[in-house]
Amino acid sequence: MTQPQHLESRTQHVRDTWGKRCNIILYMSSKESDFPTVGLNVSEGRSQLYWKTIRAFQHIHKHHLDDADWFLKADDDTFVVLENLRYGLSKHNTEEPLFFGRRFTPFVKQGYMSGGAGYVLSKEALRRFVKGFAEGLCTHNTELEDTGLGQCMETMKVRTGDSRDVMRRQTFHPYPPDYYLPRQLPRRRPWYLLYEHYNPVEGPGCCSDLAISFHYIDAVGMHTLEYYTYHLRPYGYKYRFNPDLTD
Amino acid sequence: MRLFKHYILFLSGVAVSVLLSITYSRVQRTLTPTPTPTFAMHARNTYTVWHTAENRRALDLSQKVRVLCWVMTQPQHLESRTQHVRDTWGKRCNIILYMSSKESDFPTVGLNVSEGRSQLYWKTIRAFQHIHKHHLDDADWFLKADDDTFVVLENLRYGLSKHNTEEPLFFGRRFTPFVKQGYMSGGAGYVLSKEALRRFVKGFAEGLCTHNTELEDTGLGQCMETMKVRTGDSRDVMRRQTFHPYPPDYYLPRQLPRRRPWYLLYEHYNPVEGPGCCSDLAISFHYIDAVGMHTLEYYTYHLRPYGYKYRFNPDLTD
Repeated sequence: MTQPQHLESRTQHVRDTWGKRCNIILYMSSKESDFPTVGLNVSEGRSQLYWKTIRAFQHIHKHHLDDADWFLKADDDTFVVLENLRYGLSKHNTEEPLFFGRRFTPFVKQGYMSGGAGYVLSKEALRRFVKGFAEGLCTHNTELEDTGLGQCMETMKVRTGDSRDVMRRQTFHPYPPDYYLPRQLPRRRPWYLLYEHYNPVEGPGCCSDLAISFHYIDAVGMHTLEYYTYHLRPYGYKYRFNPDLTD
Repeated sequence: MRLFKHYILFLSGVAVSVLLSITYSRVQRTLTPTPTPTFAMHARNTYTVWHTAENRRALDLSQKVRVLCWVMTQPQHLESRTQHVRDTWGKRCNIILYMSSKESDFPTVGLNVSEGRSQLYWKTIRAFQHIHKHHLDDADWFLKADDDTFVVLENLRYGLSKHNTEEPLFFGRRFTPFVKQGYMSGGAGYVLSKEALRRFVKGFAEGLCTHNTELEDTGLGQCMETMKVRTGDSRDVMRRQTFHPYPPDYYLPRQLPRRRPWYLLYEHYNPVEGPGCCSDLAISFHYIDAVGMHTLEYYTYHLRPYGYKYRFNPDLTD
Protein backbone atom coordinates (compact mmCIF):
# COMPACT_ATOMS: atom_id res chain seq x y z
CA MET A 1 0.00 0.00 0.00
CA THR A 2 1.77 3.13 -1.16
CA GLN A 3 1.31 6.54 -2.77
CA PRO A 4 3.09 8.75 -5.30
CA GLN A 5 4.79 10.88 -2.66
CA HIS A 6 6.33 7.83 -1.02
CA LEU A 7 7.85 6.13 -4.03
CA GLU A 8 11.28 7.65 -3.54
CA SER A 9 11.36 7.96 0.23
CA ARG A 10 9.89 4.59 1.11
CA THR A 11 8.75 2.29 -1.65
CA GLN A 12 12.00 2.08 -3.55
CA HIS A 13 13.65 0.79 -0.40
CA VAL A 14 11.03 -1.91 -0.17
CA ARG A 15 11.83 -2.74 -3.77
CA ASP A 16 15.57 -2.74 -3.05
CA THR A 17 15.24 -5.07 -0.10
CA TRP A 18 12.43 -7.54 0.49
CA GLY A 19 10.11 -6.76 -2.41
CA LYS A 20 12.07 -8.90 -4.83
CA ARG A 21 11.55 -11.99 -2.70
CA CYS A 22 7.83 -12.14 -3.42
CA ASN A 23 6.78 -14.34 -6.33
CA ILE A 24 4.82 -11.33 -7.53
CA ILE A 25 5.05 -7.83 -6.06
CA LEU A 26 2.52 -5.12 -6.81
CA TYR A 27 2.84 -1.54 -5.65
CA MET A 28 -0.69 -0.19 -5.19
CA SER A 29 -1.13 3.56 -5.47
CA SER A 30 -3.73 6.06 -6.52
CA LYS A 31 -1.81 6.63 -9.74
CA GLU A 32 -0.26 4.31 -12.24
CA SER A 33 3.42 4.97 -12.91
CA ASP A 34 6.63 3.51 -14.29
CA PHE A 35 7.82 2.53 -10.83
CA PRO A 36 5.78 0.41 -11.64
CA THR A 37 2.68 1.12 -9.62
CA VAL A 38 -0.86 -0.07 -10.17
CA GLY A 39 -3.29 2.82 -10.32
CA LEU A 40 -6.41 2.16 -8.23
CA ASN A 41 -9.52 4.24 -8.72
CA VAL A 42 -9.14 6.11 -5.40
CA SER A 43 -7.76 9.29 -3.87
CA GLU A 44 -4.95 9.42 -1.34
CA GLY A 45 -5.23 9.96 2.38
CA ARG A 46 -5.89 8.02 5.57
CA SER A 47 -9.64 8.10 4.95
CA GLN A 48 -9.20 6.23 1.68
CA LEU A 49 -7.19 3.31 3.03
CA TYR A 50 -10.06 0.88 3.13
CA TRP A 51 -11.14 1.87 -0.40
CA LYS A 52 -7.59 1.23 -1.55
CA THR A 53 -7.59 -2.16 0.11
CA ILE A 54 -10.89 -3.13 -1.48
CA ARG A 55 -9.82 -1.99 -4.93
CA ALA A 56 -6.42 -3.64 -4.54
CA PHE A 57 -7.89 -7.02 -3.70
CA GLN A 58 -10.44 -6.67 -6.48
CA HIS A 59 -7.63 -5.95 -8.92
CA ILE A 60 -5.64 -8.94 -7.72
CA HIS A 61 -8.68 -11.19 -7.90
CA LYS A 62 -9.34 -10.05 -11.43
CA HIS A 63 -5.81 -10.30 -12.78
CA HIS A 64 -3.75 -12.60 -10.58
CA LEU A 65 -5.98 -15.14 -8.86
CA ASP A 66 -4.17 -18.08 -10.42
CA ASP A 67 -0.69 -16.59 -10.27
CA ALA A 68 -0.16 -17.23 -6.56
CA ASP A 69 -1.33 -19.30 -3.63
CA TRP A 70 -1.37 -16.63 -0.93
CA PHE A 71 -1.95 -12.90 -1.00
CA LEU A 72 -0.03 -10.63 1.38
CA LYS A 73 -0.83 -7.02 2.08
CA ALA A 74 1.92 -4.82 3.51
CA ASP A 75 2.55 -1.12 4.01
CA ASP A 76 5.46 0.75 2.44
CA ASP A 77 7.03 0.86 5.90
CA THR A 78 6.63 -2.83 6.66
CA PHE A 79 9.65 -5.15 6.41
CA VAL A 80 8.71 -8.73 5.52
CA VAL A 81 10.82 -11.90 5.70
CA LEU A 82 9.30 -13.96 2.89
CA GLU A 83 11.08 -17.19 3.74
CA ASN A 84 9.50 -17.27 7.18
CA LEU A 85 6.09 -16.39 5.79
CA ARG A 86 6.32 -19.27 3.33
CA TYR A 87 7.43 -21.60 6.10
CA GLY A 88 4.43 -20.67 8.26
CA LEU A 89 1.98 -20.97 5.37
CA SER A 90 3.42 -24.23 4.07
CA LYS A 91 1.31 -26.31 6.42
CA HIS A 92 -1.96 -24.73 5.35
CA ASN A 93 -4.36 -25.25 2.50
CA THR A 94 -5.04 -22.18 0.45
CA GLU A 95 -8.42 -23.50 -0.62
CA GLU A 96 -9.60 -23.05 2.95
CA PRO A 97 -10.99 -19.70 4.06
CA LEU A 98 -8.15 -18.45 6.28
CA PHE A 99 -6.17 -15.34 6.91
CA PHE A 100 -3.13 -14.71 9.12
CA GLY A 101 -1.42 -11.71 10.70
CA ARG A 102 -1.07 -10.03 14.10
CA ARG A 103 -4.38 -10.84 15.73
CA PHE A 104 -6.10 -7.93 17.47
CA THR A 105 -9.19 -8.28 19.62
CA PRO A 106 -11.51 -5.29 19.57
CA PHE A 107 -14.29 -4.45 17.12
CA VAL A 108 -14.54 -7.85 15.47
CA LYS A 109 -15.75 -10.91 17.37
CA GLN A 110 -13.19 -13.38 16.08
CA GLY A 111 -10.55 -10.67 15.96
CA TYR A 112 -8.91 -8.95 13.00
CA MET A 113 -5.35 -8.51 11.77
CA SER A 114 -3.26 -5.40 12.35
CA GLY A 115 -2.88 -3.55 9.06
CA GLY A 116 0.63 -2.24 9.65
CA ALA A 117 2.05 -5.63 10.55
CA GLY A 118 0.73 -7.01 7.29
CA TYR A 119 -1.72 -9.85 6.75
CA VAL A 120 -2.03 -12.69 4.27
CA LEU A 121 -5.18 -14.18 2.74
CA SER A 122 -5.67 -17.66 1.36
CA LYS A 123 -7.09 -17.96 -2.13
CA GLU A 124 -10.50 -18.85 -0.77
CA ALA A 125 -10.37 -15.88 1.59
CA LEU A 126 -9.61 -13.60 -1.34
CA ARG A 127 -12.51 -15.05 -3.35
CA ARG A 128 -14.89 -14.53 -0.45
CA PHE A 129 -13.70 -10.97 0.20
CA VAL A 130 -14.35 -9.99 -3.38
CA LYS A 131 -17.60 -11.92 -3.43
CA GLY A 132 -18.72 -10.16 -0.26
CA PHE A 133 -18.44 -6.80 -1.94
CA ALA A 134 -19.96 -8.03 -5.18
CA GLU A 135 -23.04 -9.27 -3.34
CA GLY A 136 -23.35 -6.37 -0.93
CA LEU A 137 -22.67 -8.54 2.11
CA CYS A 138 -19.58 -6.48 2.81
CA THR A 139 -19.59 -2.72 2.41
CA HIS A 140 -17.25 0.19 2.98
CA ASN A 141 -18.50 0.69 6.53
CA THR A 142 -15.32 2.11 8.04
CA GLU A 143 -12.17 4.02 7.09
CA LEU A 144 -9.97 1.59 9.02
CA GLU A 145 -8.74 -0.92 6.47
CA ASP A 146 -7.68 -3.60 8.91
CA THR A 147 -10.85 -3.48 10.98
CA GLY A 148 -13.00 -3.29 7.88
CA LEU A 149 -11.36 -6.25 6.24
CA GLY A 150 -11.61 -8.16 9.50
CA GLN A 151 -15.35 -7.52 9.67
CA CYS A 152 -15.82 -8.66 6.09
CA MET A 153 -13.80 -11.79 6.81
CA GLU A 154 -16.07 -12.59 9.71
CA THR A 155 -19.19 -11.94 7.64
CA MET A 156 -17.91 -14.22 4.91
CA LYS A 157 -16.92 -16.90 7.44
CA VAL A 158 -13.21 -16.66 6.81
CA ARG A 159 -11.36 -17.80 9.91
CA THR A 160 -8.60 -15.94 11.78
CA GLY A 161 -5.44 -17.99 11.98
CA ASP A 162 -2.82 -18.15 14.73
CA SER A 163 0.49 -17.00 13.30
CA ARG A 164 2.61 -17.61 16.38
CA ASP A 165 5.47 -20.10 16.22
CA VAL A 166 5.70 -23.42 18.11
CA MET A 167 6.89 -21.57 21.19
CA ARG A 168 3.91 -19.19 21.02
CA ARG A 169 6.08 -16.27 19.95
CA GLN A 170 4.66 -13.69 17.56
CA THR A 171 5.79 -13.53 13.96
CA PHE A 172 3.93 -10.44 12.68
CA HIS A 173 4.84 -7.22 14.49
CA PRO A 174 3.02 -3.86 14.28
CA TYR A 175 6.14 -2.09 15.64
CA PRO A 176 9.90 -2.49 15.31
CA PRO A 177 11.59 -5.11 17.51
CA ASP A 178 12.89 -2.62 20.06
CA TYR A 179 9.30 -1.96 21.15
CA TYR A 180 8.90 -5.52 22.36
CA LEU A 181 12.34 -6.93 23.08
CA PRO A 182 13.24 -5.04 26.26
CA ARG A 183 11.55 -6.14 29.42
CA GLN A 184 9.70 -3.22 30.90
CA LEU A 185 9.03 -2.02 34.41
CA PRO A 186 5.35 -2.33 35.37
CA ARG A 187 3.47 0.49 33.68
CA ARG A 188 0.13 1.33 32.20
CA ARG A 189 -0.18 -0.91 29.17
CA PRO A 190 0.15 0.95 25.87
CA TRP A 191 -2.73 0.56 23.41
CA TYR A 192 -0.91 -1.81 21.12
CA LEU A 193 -0.63 -4.33 23.94
CA LEU A 194 -4.23 -3.91 25.01
CA TYR A 195 -5.43 -4.81 21.53
CA GLU A 196 -3.58 -8.12 21.54
CA HIS A 197 -5.70 -11.24 21.12
CA TYR A 198 -3.06 -13.51 22.56
CA ASN A 199 -1.48 -12.67 25.88
CA PRO A 200 1.17 -10.07 25.07
CA VAL A 201 4.76 -10.89 25.97
CA GLU A 202 7.51 -8.34 26.44
CA GLY A 203 11.11 -9.38 26.55
CA PRO A 204 12.81 -12.21 24.66
CA GLY A 205 9.62 -14.26 24.35
CA CYS A 206 7.99 -11.56 22.27
CA CYS A 207 9.38 -12.28 18.92
CA SER A 208 9.96 -15.49 17.02
CA ASP A 209 13.39 -16.27 15.60
CA LEU A 210 11.46 -16.80 12.38
CA ALA A 211 9.77 -13.43 12.50
CA ILE A 212 7.73 -12.48 9.45
CA SER A 213 7.22 -8.74 9.66
CA PHE A 214 8.09 -5.49 11.41
CA HIS A 215 6.28 -2.18 10.93
CA TYR A 216 7.26 1.51 11.10
CA ILE A 217 10.52 0.74 9.35
CA ASP A 218 11.94 3.74 7.50
CA ALA A 219 14.31 3.70 4.54
CA VAL A 220 17.48 3.27 6.60
CA GLY A 221 15.67 0.68 8.70
CA MET A 222 14.86 -1.37 5.60
CA HIS A 223 18.51 -1.68 4.64
CA THR A 224 19.62 -2.25 8.20
CA LEU A 225 17.03 -5.02 8.69
CA GLU A 226 18.12 -6.51 5.39
CA TYR A 227 21.68 -6.65 6.74
CA TYR A 228 20.58 -8.06 10.10
CA THR A 229 18.35 -10.72 8.58
CA TYR A 230 20.21 -11.85 5.47
CA HIS A 231 23.84 -11.13 6.34
CA LEU A 232 24.91 -10.62 9.96
CA ARG A 233 25.38 -13.90 11.76
CA PRO A 234 27.81 -15.61 14.17
CA TYR A 235 30.21 -17.96 12.39
CA GLY A 236 29.43 -21.57 13.13
CA TYR A 237 26.65 -20.77 15.55
CA LYS A 238 24.16 -23.55 16.13
CA TYR A 239 20.77 -21.95 16.65
CA ARG A 240 18.95 -23.18 19.69
CA PHE A 241 15.51 -22.86 18.14
CA ASN A 242 14.77 -25.51 15.57
CA PRO A 243 11.07 -25.39 14.68
CA ASP A 244 11.15 -28.74 12.96
CA LEU A 245 12.42 -30.64 15.99
CA THR A 246 9.83 -29.66 18.60
CA ASP A 247 7.45 -32.49 17.80
CA MET B 1 -55.71 -45.27 34.38
CA ARG B 2 -52.56 -45.99 36.29
CA LEU B 3 -50.96 -47.42 33.24
CA PHE B 4 -51.74 -44.21 31.35
CA LYS B 5 -50.14 -42.12 34.12
CA HIS B 6 -47.03 -44.26 33.93
CA TYR B 7 -47.06 -43.95 30.20
CA ILE B 8 -47.18 -40.14 30.45
CA LEU B 9 -44.40 -40.14 33.01
CA PHE B 10 -42.31 -42.33 30.81
CA LEU B 11 -42.86 -40.13 27.76
CA SER B 12 -42.07 -36.94 29.66
CA GLY B 13 -38.93 -38.58 30.95
CA VAL B 14 -37.92 -39.40 27.41
CA ALA B 15 -38.77 -35.87 26.30
CA VAL B 16 -36.71 -34.32 29.08
CA SER B 17 -33.71 -36.46 28.31
CA VAL B 18 -33.98 -35.72 24.61
CA LEU B 19 -34.14 -32.02 25.34
CA LEU B 20 -31.20 -32.28 27.71
CA SER B 21 -29.06 -34.12 25.22
CA ILE B 22 -29.81 -31.60 22.51
CA THR B 23 -28.88 -28.74 24.83
CA TYR B 24 -25.80 -30.58 26.00
CA SER B 25 -24.53 -31.22 22.49
CA ARG B 26 -25.10 -27.57 21.59
CA VAL B 27 -23.07 -26.51 24.63
CA GLN B 28 -20.40 -29.04 23.71
CA ARG B 29 -20.04 -27.50 20.28
CA THR B 30 -19.47 -24.01 21.68
CA LEU B 31 -17.09 -25.26 24.37
CA THR B 32 -14.89 -27.07 21.90
CA PRO B 33 -14.76 -24.78 18.85
CA THR B 34 -12.99 -25.84 15.68
CA PRO B 35 -9.26 -25.50 16.38
CA THR B 36 -7.67 -22.26 15.18
CA PRO B 37 -5.45 -22.81 12.19
CA THR B 38 -1.99 -22.11 13.39
CA PHE B 39 1.57 -21.56 12.15
CA ALA B 40 2.77 -23.61 15.09
CA MET B 41 2.36 -26.93 13.36
CA HIS B 42 5.16 -28.89 11.88
CA ALA B 43 6.07 -28.97 8.27
CA ARG B 44 5.08 -32.08 6.35
CA ASN B 45 8.50 -32.14 4.79
CA THR B 46 11.02 -31.88 7.59
CA TYR B 47 14.05 -29.86 6.57
CA THR B 48 17.33 -31.43 7.58
CA VAL B 49 19.67 -29.33 9.65
CA TRP B 50 21.93 -27.50 7.28
CA HIS B 51 25.40 -28.89 7.70
CA THR B 52 28.08 -26.64 6.38
CA ALA B 53 31.75 -26.29 6.98
CA GLU B 54 30.76 -23.61 9.47
CA ASN B 55 28.84 -25.94 11.74
CA ARG B 56 31.52 -28.56 11.87
CA ARG B 57 34.33 -26.22 12.82
CA ALA B 58 32.37 -24.02 15.17
CA LEU B 59 32.52 -26.04 18.33
CA ASP B 60 36.31 -26.23 18.32
CA LEU B 61 36.88 -22.52 18.15
CA SER B 62 35.84 -21.53 21.66
CA GLN B 63 38.44 -23.89 23.09
CA LYS B 64 41.11 -23.40 20.44
CA VAL B 65 40.85 -19.60 20.37
CA ARG B 66 40.35 -18.49 23.95
CA VAL B 67 39.44 -14.83 24.32
CA LEU B 68 39.68 -12.78 27.47
CA CYS B 69 37.43 -9.73 27.19
CA TRP B 70 37.77 -6.69 29.36
CA VAL B 71 35.10 -4.03 29.35
CA MET B 72 35.97 -0.45 30.19
CA THR B 73 33.25 0.72 32.55
CA GLN B 74 32.53 2.78 35.65
CA PRO B 75 30.30 2.51 38.76
CA GLN B 76 27.63 4.82 37.34
CA HIS B 77 27.25 2.64 34.25
CA LEU B 78 26.85 -0.75 35.82
CA GLU B 79 23.08 -0.68 35.82
CA SER B 80 22.46 1.38 32.71
CA ARG B 81 25.01 -0.21 30.42
CA THR B 82 27.28 -2.91 31.79
CA GLN B 83 24.59 -5.27 32.99
CA HIS B 84 23.25 -5.37 29.45
CA VAL B 85 26.67 -6.35 28.20
CA ARG B 86 26.67 -9.06 30.80
CA ASP B 87 23.18 -10.19 29.80
CA THR B 88 24.05 -10.41 26.13
CA TRP B 89 27.53 -10.94 24.68
CA GLY B 90 29.65 -10.85 27.86
CA LYS B 91 28.98 -14.47 28.65
CA ARG B 92 30.44 -15.60 25.34
CA CYS B 93 33.97 -14.61 26.26
CA ASN B 94 36.10 -17.37 27.78
CA ILE B 95 36.86 -14.87 30.53
CA ILE B 96 35.13 -11.49 30.99
CA LEU B 97 36.48 -8.75 33.26
CA TYR B 98 34.64 -5.53 33.96
CA MET B 99 37.26 -2.86 34.65
CA SER B 100 36.23 0.07 36.80
CA SER B 101 37.75 2.53 39.22
CA LYS B 102 36.13 0.61 42.06
CA GLU B 103 35.91 -3.06 42.88
CA SER B 104 32.35 -4.33 43.38
CA ASP B 105 30.14 -7.39 43.50
CA PHE B 106 29.07 -6.90 39.91
CA PRO B 107 31.82 -8.15 39.79
CA THR B 108 34.16 -5.36 38.74
CA VAL B 109 37.91 -5.19 39.00
CA GLY B 110 39.02 -2.06 40.83
CA LEU B 111 41.90 -0.32 39.04
CA ASN B 112 44.00 2.26 40.82
CA VAL B 113 42.53 5.20 38.86
CA SER B 114 39.86 7.90 38.95
CA GLU B 115 36.96 8.16 36.54
CA GLY B 116 36.56 10.51 33.61
CA ARG B 117 37.60 10.85 29.98
CA SER B 118 41.05 12.08 30.96
CA GLN B 119 41.72 8.84 32.79
CA LEU B 120 40.89 6.48 29.98
CA TYR B 121 44.46 5.73 29.00
CA TRP B 122 45.44 5.20 32.63
CA LYS B 123 42.59 2.73 32.94
CA THR B 124 43.74 0.95 29.83
CA ILE B 125 47.33 0.70 31.06
CA ARG B 126 46.27 -0.57 34.48
CA ALA B 127 43.77 -2.99 32.96
CA PHE B 128 46.36 -4.63 30.74
CA GLN B 129 48.87 -4.73 33.56
CA HIS B 130 46.28 -6.48 35.74
CA ILE B 131 45.49 -8.98 32.99
CA HIS B 132 49.16 -9.62 32.33
CA LYS B 133 49.75 -10.26 36.01
CA HIS B 134 46.76 -12.51 36.68
CA HIS B 135 45.53 -14.00 33.44
CA LEU B 136 48.34 -14.24 30.91
CA ASP B 137 48.01 -18.00 30.59
CA ASP B 138 44.22 -18.13 30.85
CA ALA B 139 43.59 -17.00 27.30
CA ASP B 140 45.13 -16.68 23.87
CA TRP B 141 43.85 -13.24 22.87
CA PHE B 142 42.93 -10.15 24.85
CA LEU B 143 40.02 -7.95 23.74
CA LYS B 144 39.23 -4.48 24.98
CA ALA B 145 35.70 -3.17 24.56
CA ASP B 146 33.61 -0.30 25.90
CA ASP B 147 30.42 -0.78 27.86
CA ASP B 148 28.55 0.39 24.78
CA THR B 149 30.27 -1.93 22.34
CA PHE B 150 28.45 -5.06 21.08
CA VAL B 151 30.80 -7.90 20.18
CA VAL B 152 30.11 -11.11 18.24
CA LEU B 153 32.61 -13.48 19.80
CA GLU B 154 32.18 -16.26 17.27
CA ASN B 155 33.25 -14.00 14.44
CA LEU B 156 36.17 -12.66 16.44
CA ARG B 157 37.40 -16.20 17.09
CA TYR B 158 36.97 -17.08 13.45
CA GLY B 159 39.06 -14.08 12.38
CA LEU B 160 41.76 -14.80 14.94
CA SER B 161 41.89 -18.53 14.27
CA LYS B 162 44.29 -18.10 11.39
CA HIS B 163 46.81 -16.12 13.43
CA ASN B 164 49.52 -17.03 15.89
CA THR B 165 49.19 -15.43 19.30
CA GLU B 166 52.93 -15.66 19.90
CA GLU B 167 53.40 -13.07 17.18
CA PRO B 168 53.27 -9.38 18.03
CA LEU B 169 49.92 -8.43 16.45
CA PHE B 170 46.83 -6.47 17.25
CA PHE B 171 43.57 -6.09 15.36
CA GLY B 172 40.67 -3.65 15.29
CA ARG B 173 39.31 -0.80 13.15
CA ARG B 174 42.46 0.68 11.72
CA PHE B 175 42.69 4.47 11.82
CA THR B 176 45.39 6.49 10.13
CA PRO B 177 46.31 9.68 11.91
CA PHE B 178 48.84 10.25 14.72
CA VAL B 179 50.58 6.87 14.46
CA LYS B 180 52.66 5.94 11.44
CA GLN B 181 51.44 2.37 11.06
CA GLY B 182 47.99 3.38 12.24
CA TYR B 183 46.14 2.59 15.46
CA MET B 184 42.86 0.91 16.38
CA SER B 185 39.66 2.77 17.20
CA GLY B 186 38.96 2.44 20.91
CA GLY B 187 35.19 2.35 20.68
CA ALA B 188 35.10 -0.40 18.09
CA GLY B 189 37.24 -2.54 20.34
CA TYR B 190 40.65 -4.04 19.66
CA VAL B 191 42.33 -7.34 20.41
CA LEU B 192 45.95 -8.02 21.32
CA SER B 193 47.90 -11.21 20.83
CA LYS B 194 49.70 -12.65 23.84
CA GLU B 195 53.02 -11.32 22.59
CA ALA B 196 51.49 -7.89 22.03
CA LEU B 197 50.22 -7.86 25.59
CA ARG B 198 53.66 -8.85 26.92
CA ARG B 199 55.32 -6.07 24.92
CA PHE B 200 52.77 -3.46 26.00
CA VAL B 201 53.37 -4.22 29.67
CA LYS B 202 57.13 -4.45 29.10
CA GLY B 203 57.09 -1.08 27.36
CA PHE B 204 55.71 0.59 30.45
CA ALA B 205 57.95 -1.38 32.79
CA GLU B 206 61.03 -0.22 30.91
CA GLY B 207 59.86 3.34 30.29
CA LEU B 208 59.79 2.88 26.53
CA CYS B 209 56.06 3.64 26.63
CA THR B 210 54.66 6.36 28.83
CA HIS B 211 51.31 7.99 29.54
CA ASN B 212 51.85 10.63 26.88
CA THR B 213 48.22 11.22 25.94
CA GLU B 214 44.71 10.98 27.35
CA LEU B 215 43.44 9.19 24.27
CA GLU B 216 43.57 5.50 25.06
CA ASP B 217 43.38 4.22 21.52
CA THR B 218 45.99 6.60 20.12
CA GLY B 219 48.23 6.05 23.15
CA LEU B 220 48.09 2.29 22.90
CA GLY B 221 48.69 2.53 19.16
CA GLN B 222 51.84 4.57 19.73
CA CYS B 223 53.13 2.10 22.30
CA MET B 224 52.44 -0.76 19.92
CA GLU B 225 54.48 0.94 17.25
CA THR B 226 57.30 1.65 19.69
CA MET B 227 57.36 -1.99 20.78
CA LYS B 228 57.21 -3.20 17.17
CA VAL B 229 53.78 -4.78 17.42
CA ARG B 230 52.19 -4.87 14.00
CA THR B 231 48.75 -3.60 13.01
CA GLY B 232 46.66 -6.36 11.52
CA ASP B 233 44.02 -6.15 8.78
CA SER B 234 40.72 -7.23 10.26
CA ARG B 235 38.68 -7.04 7.07
CA ASP B 236 37.04 -10.18 5.70
CA VAL B 237 37.93 -11.96 2.44
CA MET B 238 35.80 -9.47 0.52
CA ARG B 239 37.61 -6.52 2.17
CA ARG B 240 34.60 -5.63 4.28
CA GLN B 241 35.13 -4.23 7.75
CA THR B 242 34.43 -6.30 10.85
CA PHE B 243 35.06 -3.81 13.67
CA HIS B 244 32.76 -0.78 13.59
CA PRO B 245 33.12 2.44 15.64
CA TYR B 246 29.45 3.25 15.00
CA PRO B 247 26.19 1.30 14.69
CA PRO B 248 25.41 -0.33 11.31
CA ASP B 249 23.00 2.36 10.19
CA TYR B 250 25.90 4.81 9.97
CA TYR B 251 27.54 2.80 7.20
CA LEU B 252 24.85 0.71 5.52
CA PRO B 253 22.94 3.37 3.61
CA ARG B 254 24.57 4.73 0.50
CA GLN B 255 24.94 8.46 0.88
CA LEU B 256 24.70 11.38 -1.47
CA PRO B 257 28.04 13.06 -2.08
CA ARG B 258 28.86 15.16 0.96
CA ARG B 259 31.73 16.42 3.04
CA ARG B 260 33.22 13.29 4.59
CA PRO B 261 32.57 12.98 8.31
CA TRP B 262 35.64 12.60 10.55
CA TYR B 263 35.14 8.94 11.13
CA LEU B 264 35.55 8.27 7.43
CA LEU B 265 38.55 10.56 7.10
CA TYR B 266 40.39 8.60 9.77
CA GLU B 267 40.01 5.31 7.94
CA HIS B 268 43.21 3.52 6.99
CA TYR B 269 41.53 1.43 4.35
CA ASN B 270 39.37 3.08 1.73
CA PRO B 271 36.03 3.65 3.42
CA VAL B 272 32.98 2.04 1.87
CA GLU B 273 29.41 3.16 2.42
CA GLY B 274 26.51 0.98 1.45
CA PRO B 275 26.29 -2.80 1.51
CA GLY B 276 30.05 -3.28 1.10
CA CYS B 277 30.71 -1.56 4.41
CA CYS B 278 30.10 -4.33 6.78
CA SER B 279 31.05 -7.97 6.79
CA ASP B 280 28.39 -10.63 7.25
CA LEU B 281 30.71 -11.86 9.97
CA ALA B 282 30.92 -8.51 11.73
CA ILE B 283 32.75 -8.49 15.04
CA SER B 284 31.73 -5.27 16.76
CA PHE B 285 29.47 -2.23 16.77
CA HIS B 286 29.87 0.80 19.01
CA TYR B 287 27.51 3.36 20.57
CA ILE B 288 25.03 0.62 21.35
CA ASP B 289 22.75 1.47 24.27
CA ALA B 290 20.92 -0.95 26.55
CA VAL B 291 17.97 -1.49 24.22
CA GLY B 292 20.41 -1.77 21.34
CA MET B 293 22.30 -4.58 23.08
CA HIS B 294 19.20 -6.72 23.37
CA THR B 295 18.02 -5.85 19.89
CA LEU B 296 21.40 -6.73 18.38
CA GLU B 297 21.36 -9.95 20.37
CA TYR B 298 18.02 -10.78 18.74
CA TYR B 299 19.19 -9.79 15.27
CA THR B 300 22.45 -11.73 15.53
CA TYR B 301 21.55 -14.86 17.44
CA HIS B 302 17.85 -15.30 16.64
CA LEU B 303 16.28 -13.56 13.65
CA ARG B 304 16.93 -15.43 10.43
CA PRO B 305 15.13 -16.53 7.25
CA TYR B 306 14.06 -20.16 7.36
CA GLY B 307 16.07 -22.33 5.04
CA TYR B 308 18.06 -19.43 3.64
CA LYS B 309 21.37 -20.31 2.08
CA TYR B 310 23.78 -17.47 2.78
CA ARG B 311 25.57 -16.21 -0.26
CA PHE B 312 28.75 -15.38 1.61
CA ASN B 313 30.74 -18.44 2.64
CA PRO B 314 34.13 -17.31 3.94
CA ASP B 315 35.57 -20.80 3.85
CA LEU B 316 34.97 -21.25 0.14
CA THR B 317 36.91 -18.22 -1.03
CA ASP B 318 40.24 -19.75 -0.13
